[in-house]
Order: sequence, then C-alpha cells, then structure tokens
Amino acid sequence: MNSPTDLIARPDAVVLDLPASSGDAVMQALQARLKDLPAVTDAAGFMRDLLERAAVSSVCISPEVAMPHARTSAVSRLMLAVGRTAGPVAFDAGHPGVRLVFLIGTPKVQVTEYLQLVAGVSRLLKKDKVRAALLAAPTEADFRAVLARGLQE
Amino acid sequence: MKTDADPAQVFMRRVLRLLRWRLWLAEKLQPTDWQATLLWAALAGFSGALVSLVFSALSEGVHEFLTGSSAGVVESMRQLPWWACLMVPAGGGLMAGLVLQFGKRLTRDQSSTDYMEAIVIGSGHLPIRASLVKSGAALFAIGSGGSIGREGPMVQLAAVVASFLGRWRRFTPPQQRLLVACGAAAGIASAYNAPIAGSFFVAEIILGTIAMESLGPLIVAALVAALTVRVLTNAAQLYHVPAFRLGSPWEMGPYILLGVLAGAVAPWFLRTLRTAERLFVATKLPLTLRLVLGGLMVGGLAVWRPEVCGNGYSVVVDILNGSIRGINVFGFRHIWLAVLVIMACKWIATAASFGSGAPGGVFTPSLFMGASAGYLFGTAVHNVWPQGAADPRAFALVGMGAFLSAASRAPLMAVIMLFEMTLSYDIILPLMLCSVLAYYTAKGIEDQSLYSESLKRKAAEEPAPALPVGRVADLMKSDPPVLAATAQFAEIARVFLSVRVNNLYVIDEAGRFLGVVSLHDIKPYLGDPEVAGLVLARDILHEDFPRLAPEQTLSEALGAFLGITAERLPVVEPGGRLLGSLAKGDLLLTLVEKGRPAAAR
Repeated sequence: MNSPTDLIARPDAVVLDLPASSGDAVMQALQARLKDLPAVTDAAGFMRDLLERAAVSSVCISPEVAMPHARTSAVSRLMLAVGRTAGPVAFDAGHPGVRLVFLIGTPKVQVTEYLQLVAGVSRLLKKDKVRAALLAAPTEADFRAVLARGLQE
Repeated sequence: MKTDADPAQVFMRRVLRLLRWRLWLAEKLQPTDWQATLLWAALAGFSGALVSLVFSALSEGVHEFLTGSSAGVVESMRQLPWWACLMVPAGGGLMAGLVLQFGKRLTRDQSSTDYMEAIVIGSGHLPIRASLVKSGAALFAIGSGGSIGREGPMVQLAAVVASFLGRWRRFTPPQQRLLVACGAAAGIASAYNAPIAGSFFVAEIILGTIAMESLGPLIVAALVAALTVRVLTNAAQLYHVPAFRLGSPWEMGPYILLGVLAGAVAPWFLRTLRTAERLFVATKLPLTLRLVLGGLMVGGLAVWRPEVCGNGYSVVVDILNGSIRGINVFGFRHIWLAVLVIMACKWIATAASFGSGAPGGVFTPSLFMGASAGYLFGTAVHNVWPQGAADPRAFALVGMGAFLSAASRAPLMAVIMLFEMTLSYDIILPLMLCSVLAYYTAKGIEDQSLYSESLKRKAAEEPAPALPVGRVADLMKSDPPVLAATAQFAEIARVFLSVRVNNLYVIDEAGRFLGVVSLHDIKPYLGDPEVAGLVLARDILHEDFPRLAPEQTLSEALGAFLGITAERLPVVEPGGRLLGSLAKGDLLLTLVEKGRPAAAR
C-alpha cells in the first residue's frame, strides 16, 4: 500500500498541466487533491507543515523536479500526489524551472516508509529518459504508464 | 556533469562512501560495547603483565645489589655474615621509609593508592605518582628480604596501568572500575601464573560477584597476562610437586580436621598482623624508623633462620618436595621441628614486616603458613596413624589452600589457585573439602578477611561513596553527540562517522530534545545522493524514542531499556532540555556492583 504505484492509483492523485505560478501555489493545488481523503485529519495543518518544511530547506532534487514533503500529525497514512506544471515554476532561488512535483505527506511514525518512498521516486527521476518521457507524456494515462513502467524497472 | 563538479556534492559523496565502508566493517566485525570492553581488558592484561615482570626483575636486582648474590632470597641471606643479615633488611626498611617520606612531597593531595579501594568504594582512579612511590618503597622492602610478598605491588602496578588506560579513554566510573579490576586480575595471573585464580580472586574477593558482565573481561585480562608472562619468561606452574594419591576414603577424616585447624589458625594469623601494626604505630616512631625496626627484627630472626626472609616461596617448595633441612635433637634429625621453628619465626617476621608498614603483600606468606601448618598436622597424624596420612607433604599442599581460603574468605579462588599453581589434580578432593571447612570455621571465629578490614574501615571513613546511589543522573554521561533539526544528510553522515553510536540525538536551538535519527534508517540510502540532498534530520526523526529523567532510579532506567535495541538512552530534564545519555553497559555494570553482597563492598 506504500509503493508509489499504489499511492497514485487514485484518479485524482495525478494532475497534468497545473496552471501554477509559484511553488506554494503548486503545493496548494496538489494538497487540494488529497485534503478530502479520510487519512488527512487536518488539511490546514498539512498545508502549513508542507510550507514550513519548504521554507527550511529546498525540496527540489533536480532543476526540474521538486518533492515537497512533510512529516506531519495531520495525516494518518503515507500519501502522494503528482503534478506536472504547464510551464516552469520557481520553487526557490536555486530552482527556477521546476516542472514535475511529487508531494508527499507522512505520518510522524513512518520514518522507514517515508525514506523508501523518497528514495524510490528519486531513483526514478534520476533517469533522464524517464524525466523526458514524463514531461512529454500527452495524456494522464501516458503519464501514469511512464511512472508505472519506471517504477517497475 | 554539473553535480560532479560541485565541491559540496563531491564532499557529500565522499562522506557517504566513508560511512558505507564504516558500516560494512561494523557489520562484518560486529564490534559491540562488550567486545570493546574485552579488547580493553586484553590490553589491561598485556600491560599489567609487562609492569609485573618489570617489578619482579627490579626487586631481584635490588636484592642482588644489597646482598651481592643472585641466588634466591633465602639462599643469599644464608650466605651473609650475621651483621649483614641484620643490616640488609634494616637498610631496606630505611630506603623504603626514605622513598615514602620524600615521595610524600610529590604525591600531596593524591588519592589513595589502594586498588581494592578504587574498585570497591572509589571511581577506579589510581594516582600514578603515589603508586610509583609506594612501589619504589616496596622494591626496597622486598628486595632487602622483608617477610612480605612481591605480588601485592605487582597487582597494584597492573591496576594502576589499567586505571591510566581508563582515564585516557575517558571511561565512565563503572567501566573504569571494571578495567582496574581487570588490571588486578592480570597482576595476580602474572604473579602466580594462574589466570583462572587471577580472575576469580578479583571476582570473589573484590567484586563479590561472578556475573559474566564483570567475569568475562577479568578472564580475558588474566589469560592475556598469563600468556604474556609465559611467552616472555617461559614460566610454568609455580610449584612442582610430586604426585599425591588418596590411599583410601578414610584419609578424608584427617583432612576434615585439617580444614577446621586451618580455619581456626588463619584468623589468629590475621589478628597478629593487625596487632603488630597497632604496636608499631604505638611506638610513635616516624614511619622510616618503624620500617628500620621491622627490618631489624626480620634480620635478627634471619641470623638464625634465613628462611624467614622473602615471601616464603622457596621454603614451601622445600616442604612440598621434602628437601627441608631437619633439626638435630638427641642425634635424630627432625624435619617437623625445623618446619615448626621456621613457621614460628616466619609468623613473627611477617608480623614485623607488615606491622612496620612495609609495602607488600601477605598472600604468599599466607600460603607459607598453610603449608607449614598442613605439614605439621600431616606429620602428627602420620605418627599416630600412618595410613591416615601416608604423605604429610600432601597435607602441606592442601593446608595451603585451606589457609588461603580462610584468610581471604574466597574458597573457590583458593581451590582454583592451588590447582593452577601445582597442576596436581590428585589433591583436588581433600583440597575442596578443606577449603570449604576452613572458610566456615574462620567465618565463625571472625567476620573479617585478609582484605575486608581495611576496605570496611575506608568505606566507613568515606561519608559520600563514589558508588552511584542509584539515580540516572549519577551514571549519566554529559555532552552526547547531537544534531540540529535542520542538519542535512551529509552532516548526519559525518557525525555518524565520527562517533560510534547507532542513534544521534536531535535538539532545537534551545537544546531541547526532539528525537533521534537512527543509523539503521539511513543505512540503505547512503548511495542515494538525491535522498541525501533532500532529507534533513527533522524529516527522519523518531520523536517517540524513549527517554529518561535524571531523577529516575536505575531500576526504572533498566526497564526503559527492555524491549529496545538501543545501547544508550537520552537523559532529558523535565523542561525538555537534553542533559546527557545513559549507556546500557554502564547501567548493567553498576547494577551488578550494587547487587553484590555487602561484605564484598
């Protein structure tokens, strides 16, 4: 249940062409996809923790990829939402051109699961071919297919 | 390409690679706290053996210098003219006194040099200068033929080296006490070439426990010491004895009597030593003159019976091998009479040396007293009932163990030591019987052993014992390695590399404890620079990690360790500030120490 594939199985877990103008706005848009889930016990707290974590240190793992995350008591299980922005978004001064965003929420006790998820997604996005395919995917189905294939390899 | 050229990324990759290597090594070698303790115990054993050998060689050198003879103590005293017999021990006493007197200036404000005290009621700290001064004085007292054993200073020096090692490595008091105990075990093992007895001597007499938490390191230290001595000196067992056979079970009857006899005589021997000490002090003479007086008394006896000089080892060998010279009475040579006379003289001489304050041991003189008493008893039985004591020398051997058991109140150690020193298994049954009987007999007469009195006296003088009273704060180690909540992966890895811990404590700006970062968690991701670049300490924090309060009892602390694999727990004050950490090893050692019988403390 904690693999990236399982976590993005929900229809609204993936969103393409996010019309976002800033990192915070992207995070808010993705968090909105999760906030109505029963596992989110405090939607506002979840958002607050995401923003606070992003303010402490960069959440970008490459020029094009950001992974905003929060270990928070506002969620009761691990959750993931994935978005592709319509154009480059500045997440912080060092990362002005982010296109792919993986938003993670983790209950405070699930350290191992959190690290597994972060490492899994990081390894996937390290591959130039996968990143390029995700950026070029014309539909959500294609996007999901690239993700699923990449995660299986 | 860009990331490769980034110095921060390159540095982080190097740190992570180093950490991966360290973890690989740690997993392959599995170095736990106890393995580290055993390693230090081995080092204490090795260094203890070396200093013991040096002391032994130096004392022989001093003796050769004073007597002009390299023969044994007794033989060289026998060769001296009467006036030299008087002068050598007196001169040795003078030199010992001067060393102690002048040494006082160097050792002002230094704590007690007694290793037993350091282990039982101290923090394991033994002052080096004061110990060297005492050992220097012992060299003259022993080298001049004083009726005292050299094993005492050998054990003392081995313990001092161990104490130095512990201080150098900044061990906690329980660890330091254990290491000093290891040094003492190494000293005994070196002096008597008896590694098992060395371990049990310390475990039974000083620590009062044979729990593996302490016995394991003692055994390692003792065996390394014995091995070192054997390699460097080709040492074999101390006493070569003929084979003794138990002719019939009826022989056990006289042995029962011997056990009771040894148990009855040993307390009197100890009382004599203490009385002599009081009498010498009552003379109000300065220490140097007391030592000279003690030396003169030994010398005076040595003019007639040179066997009183030294620790009595060579006389015991002669008794056991039947080569002692008898005394002629009415044309008949009586060996028993010679043994009786030597025993009486040796008793007085040991009281004179010990009472005058000569630094040295009375362990070997006790063996002598046991051998003499056993031989005399065996001879008496043999004359009345020859089948009951076929060979009085076997009674001498068993008497040594019984007397040692009664004097030291350590019957197990006495049996093992006798067996190790003689490698004679034939006497093991009567030896066990006599040692136990002697122990109970002596205990019934007096509740003090060779070692307990001074310890009890010093413990009574010490209003605030260094032994922890049972609170977490007493055992806590301050300044544990910590991380800031915002520490990045590279920093976390760097700290894990620099200290050997499995959990790092994370604190906020005010020093409040937030939780721990576990090495176990990050281990699988050390090869992921992306994870390393993203994750902060706060992201992988275990906030629910158990913690201790400084006022909690040690039993409560032990409860907190149950069910978790952590070797340390954070100590946090009620306000949340991190004060230090408590190591499980220290806690177990202390609980073992606290659990030992009160008599041993």
